[in-house]
Amino acid sequence: ARRKEASGLGIDEEVEVKKRAYVPRVKLDETRLLSKAGIPTLKQRAKQLRLKGKGHEWSDASRLLSLYQLWLDDLFPKAKFLDALAMVEKAGHKTGVVKARLEWIDEGKPKTASMF
Amino acid sequence: MDSEDVNKDVVHPEVRAHINSLVSALGGFSIEDDGKYTLGDDALEVLRDLKRWIRFYDEKTNRMDVARCLAEANLVGGDLLQIIALWQGNGTDSRFKSRIALACYEVMVPLTWPIEKDKERMTVNHHRHIPVLEVAQLGYKRAIINFDGAPILHTAVRVALPSLAMPIGERTARDQGIIKLMLFFLRNIAMIAPPPGMKYEGDEALISRSATIDAFSYQDIFLTLLTIASNMGEDFRTEDVTVMEVIFHLVKRVDVKKLFLEEEQLKKAKSNELAAAMQKEAAMLASFNKTAPKRHNRFGTMIWVKREGGKMTSLSGQDALIDAATRERKMDKSKSFRPPKRSAKEEMEPKDLGPPVSLTHSANKQLRGFVEEFLDSGFNPLFQHVRKSIDREAPHVLNYHRGQFFYLVAWFLEAERMRRRAKKGKKPAEPSQDDVSSFNLVAGVLNQEMFITLNRWLDRAYNDKDWKELTSVMRCYTEILLTVQEMTESGNEEDEEIADNILSRLFYEESTHDAIANIVRTYKDQGFEYLDACTELTHTYLRILEAYSKQNVDLQVRSRKRTRRKKRAAKAAAEGEVEDQIPLDDDESANDEANAEKTSKERKFDFKKFAARFTTQGAVDTFVAFTKFYQDLDDSQLKRAHRYFYRVCFKHEMSVMLFRVDIIHHLYNMIKGPEPLDKNSPMFKEWEELVKQIIRKCVKKLEERPALITELLFSKINSTAHYLEYGYEKQTISSH
Repeated sequence: ARRKEASGLGIDEEVEVKKRAYVPRVKLDETRLLSKAGIPTLKQRAKQLRLKGKGHEWSDASRLLSLYQLWLDDLFPKAKFLDALAMVEKAGHKTGVVKARLEWIDEGKPKTASMF
Repeated sequence: MDSEDVNKDVVHPEVRAHINSLVSALGGFSIEDDGKYTLGDDALEVLRDLKRWIRFYDEKTNRMDVARCLAEANLVGGDLLQIIALWQGNGTDSRFKSRIALACYEVMVPLTWPIEKDKERMTVNHHRHIPVLEVAQLGYKRAIINFDGAPILHTAVRVALPSLAMPIGERTARDQGIIKLMLFFLRNIAMIAPPPGMKYEGDEALISRSATIDAFSYQDIFLTLLTIASNMGEDFRTEDVTVMEVIFHLVKRVDVKKLFLEEEQLKKAKSNELAAAMQKEAAMLASFNKTAPKRHNRFGTMIWVKREGGKMTSLSGQDALIDAATRERKMDKSKSFRPPKRSAKEEMEPKDLGPPVSLTHSANKQLRGFVEEFLDSGFNPLFQHVRKSIDREAPHVLNYHRGQFFYLVAWFLEAERMRRRAKKGKKPAEPSQDDVSSFNLVAGVLNQEMFITLNRWLDRAYNDKDWKELTSVMRCYTEILLTVQEMTESGNEEDEEIADNILSRLFYEESTHDAIANIVRTYKDQGFEYLDACTELTHTYLRILEAYSKQNVDLQVRSRKRTRRKKRAAKAAAEGEVEDQIPLDDDESANDEANAEKTSKERKFDFKKFAARFTTQGAVDTFVAFTKFYQDLDDSQLKRAHRYFYRVCFKHEMSVMLFRVDIIHHLYNMIKGPEPLDKNSPMFKEWEELVKQIIRKCVKKLEERPALITELLFSKINSTAHYLEYGYEKQTISSH
């Protein structure tokens, strides 16, 4: 029951404290990683990656690194490259991601013996 | 200023009054007698009173008020040293004066005692007084080692001489106490140093390590230390750790390599060092200049970077024009977000041992003389005795003594190796009997007992998470391995046989292999010193074991396996059928529960399987963390990391462990990044080649197995790592 009588100054009135809802912090976690902008995009872009092999090691490496850097910049723009890599690595230990990782590897395996 | 009126004194005014009156009653400079110091009438009693004040006011009630008052009254420099100076030669009243001198040392020892900052016992008083007292102690040290009137350190020994001369059986408790007092005095003087982070305002040359060593040598303290150390176990027993402490504080952080250089070589080494440092700086500046703007800072270049999906990113600054890599770096740099959990800033400098020491030429020579004589006479008796004391957990051994013991053993073993090298360089054709005895000089730490001790503390320090101690144990282990290795190459048949024996015993226990592999796998935030020690141990251990197992193909190791008692009982029933599982210790009746659960069996050593334990992701991460310091590593450290990565990638075929984006990024930047390794350094070429090979292998693997493009992001799981490396599943038949 709130006291409504006008005691002049309004000191006795209860102050309502509203809990302000904060916008939850955006995280680079497993859901983001497995979303469309995550690994699927990386795989798509990797298809366009042309590495030259022997004799072009340095340019290959810088192209490879820039693939990852730009992909991470799109996926999670606020973190620096190395920080984002650490986050991805950490997310990689979650069960969901582990399962997905195994699947991605299985995609590349030759399907012979296991399919009867 | 009238200090008595201002009631802001930090100590109780009455205490100060008492102390001041005592100090003035002690004596003073006389007006008549040429300004010589004259003792007060009751000087001895006054000294006793002072001692009592320290004991019953400061120590009992855990304050530091008296020490503070004494520091401000300038007791040490103004009175005590003068009094000690009076006791010169053999006067008639020398007995009285020697008692007075002893009383002076009895006051000085608590005043110079190292201040421990144990958070749980510290009171407000401690926080109030410690900064002042630390400065005061530096003043004491300066006064004591630079005192012109008399050799104060030498006099300390003189005070203890009657007690020292007595056989151990005849010494009374008081004699023991005097010897202890003298050693503690030496320890305190050797130990006092400016605390880390404090800038000492006086002349640092007067309290530096060089000055200390000069004073110790000039006042014949080294001879005393040598005498006591070489008679350890006979005439001295409980003094072992204190002598060790004195030596520890004299040699800690001294670079052994420089110690054994001749004057000319030392000069050359120092100028080389300077040249190398300047070159390094020039290389650094050159690498900055590559991306430095060519025009003034308001030139206002702005560019657009086109990206996937029609996106644009704008960048400003002329360096954005250089190349794609620089642009990407610039994009990255402008981000300000930091992940919430920031790891503590990694620092290279170890704090507990203090900064590295550089010695003057004379100090270097004197310390070298001492080290050589110590190796010749005192090393074995002292360290064997200390080891025994540590093993039986003697009451006079404190916790930090263990760390010092391992540190010193490592230090002196390295010194011995350096000495041999220096000797070899000097006279090449002389493998006389002098050389034969050289390894005998350090044999005291190469016996089986020492290895048991080492293994025990390796385990215990690891389990207790005592990283400082573990670091020194690892360093000690490394040095022992290196010494043994040198023995195998000595060309002397006897030495080689002994070395072979040591190695076979060393590598016989599989538990050691496990422990070392474990340590290197589980590094996390323990600091650079620890990182350096554990990578060095791994490197040395792997290399020596590899060479040894190549030589001895049928090497056996003793592995421990846990089996249930029941299983064992069943086995015992069916005895004879299972030959290889029979435990070594057959006396069933005497076994207790714990023993019964463990059975040991010998099996053939397989180096490949063993090395596989060092190619796990954890170990790789440790070495990567180590290489992150590449700008500050010296050549041998860079070589160590290089060999390891080479081993992982090409010898043991686990290159996938290196294929992670952050590792590739780090390796690439080491060679081609904005702050690369110095191109003129001798290790640069090797690293460049290695990184190139790793990248080439990575690109090849990417083509073979496209799945790697996602796996590059993560640490590998063991099961998939094998597939990624070889392209087929590992045969997982459990050979238990």
